[in-house]
Amino acid sequence: MTYHLALFILIIILALAAVMAKNMLFSALILSLVSVGVSLILFTFASPWAAVFELSVCAGLITALFISVINLMPKEKKLLNESRLKFTLLPVVLLIMAVISWIYIVPFFEYLSKHPHLSIHNYPLGQIIWKDRVFDLIGQICIFAAGVFAIKSLFARSINEQKSHKSQVTGHKF
Amino acid sequence: MTNIFSIDWYFISLLFFIGLSCILISKNMFKQLIGLEIMSKACLLAVILSGAATNNVNLAQAIAISMILIEAIVITVGLSILIKIYKTTGSLDLRKLL
Repeated sequence: MTYHLALFILIIILALAAVMAKNMLFSALILSLVSVGVSLILFTFASPWAAVFELSVCAGLITALFISVINLMPKEKKLLNESRLKFTLLPVVLLIMAVISWIYIVPFFEYLSKHPHLSIHNYPLGQIIWKDRVFDLIGQICIFAAGVFAIKSLFARSINEQKSHKSQVTGHKF
Repeated sequence: MTNIFSIDWYFISLLFFIGLSCILISKNMFKQLIGLEIMSKACLLAVILSGAATNNVNLAQAIAISMILIEAIVITVGLSILIKIYKTTGSLDLRKLL
């Protein structure tokens, strides 16, 4: 229980640091540490598959994407030119929110956890993914296709650009 | 003695609040994506915690895997929009878009 709570507190502190960081690269790296912490918590909830996905996709792939996007920008743009006052006030606001949550949210969820709607069946993960929730897979494929089309349309070349690119490659003037 | 599940929910709500406040406070698109990521992590933990509380962890894991994949696609598209905006305006400030 102590390990569990320590992980949660660590995640909160890291998330706060990621939000307050002035440097984009620092922020992305701390976010990957938050992902590592979340995956460790998922392991403690006896859900290893979700933890492995979180570790590989969020802590690995998304961090790599963030870092590659940051590297596309010039050095002076990597620092955020925003008013720091609102970010320095954030821990105070979070503290107030923590007190309010402790008064209202904890008793509410304590009441809910006393009357849980326990599931009768706990089928294996493979059966749930490939049989019970096949529609989720179709949805995922659709969202993936939508993402690919979105990126393709965002970085679409105009006809003139395509012609000039071809002429550069082949050396032939159109 | 407070229940462990309610304490977990307490921390998850704080994590969600941090992400939400990042989206609301910051005018930088990159920071807003970071806030979105933190919020989605809070939601992921909430789904798994619900599964653990109702003795149905495997169903929660299946939903969590779907959530992680969708999150990755959303962040990828968001980052590509960010690059496009940066190429167009030379800045990531949302106020310069108006």
